[in-house]
Amino acid sequence: MTETACVSGLELLVDYLEGLLPAPTVAAIEGHVAGCQRCQAFIASYNATPRIMREATDTPLPATVQTSLIDWLRKKRGT
Amino acid sequence: MTVVPTLEPSDEALASRAAAGDDHAFETIVRRYQARVYRLASRLTSETDAPDVLQDTFLQVHRHLPAFRGDSRFGTWLYRIATNAGLMHRRTRARRPAESLDAFLPTFDATGTHCGTPEQLRVVSEADERIDRQVLAGKARDGLARLPDLYREAFVLRDLEEIPTAEVAEVLGIEPAAVRQRVHRARLLLRGYLQDVIGGRS
Repeated sequence: MTETACVSGLELLVDYLEGLLPAPTVAAIEGHVAGCQRCQAFIASYNATPRIMREATDTPLPATVQTSLIDWLRKKRGT
Repeated sequence: MTVVPTLEPSDEALASRAAAGDDHAFETIVRRYQARVYRLASRLTSETDAPDVLQDTFLQVHRHLPAFRGDSRFGTWLYRIATNAGLMHRRTRARRPAESLDAFLPTFDATGTHCGTPEQLRVVSEADERIDRQVLAGKARDGLARLPDLYREAFVLRDLEEIPTAEVAEVLGIEPAAVRQRVHRARLLLRGYLQDVIGGRS
């Protein structure tokens, strides 16, 4: 993400978000993103992806599985 | 009246007792971790396969407890066993190859500018308002299943189970930089896939 190209920063994004980049690179990225609506939108959706996936795949342990697991392990251990 | 605080035994204390044959300590470990391992297993494999992976994991935990030396946190050790159990389960299943998500990687025009309008590019962050929850759940599982194993493991552990990068690196036996890169690729693929599902294909 130098002066103008969105593509330049793509592979730096994860390190940028984790605060691992040197200050000049951070300044270049932030300078570009501040003036680029597409990058702002892209980063918003990139950041939202883990939360969307986390909520959509959250699976509580069924009570039947919980009970049968303990029983099964007791049998396997011979207790 | 004096209130005596009750302290839960640490994982490591329970592991030590369980390794010495204390079944109650082992079952306390099972109860403490079973929901997390089940959720992890369902994300690494499927809801159908998760009960089998859960059983395999705790059976292996029981078998290998005497070898647990405390070099890593007990939770890290257990996640490593669960992740390997999930991977082995996937490999032993006769499955047709998952359709690649590569078509959903971001695209750029000749000047290096993102293809698509800001509205299209933003659509994933508006998923809650734009797509039915049940439909999204099905699509999300489909997307996870279509990730390459290396990316799925890293993404599930880091972004879905929210385990710190350094610990994920330990679980997977790779460098933290490699974890970040795999998680990044998974996020890019899933972000593009979700954009397509929600209706913002550019």
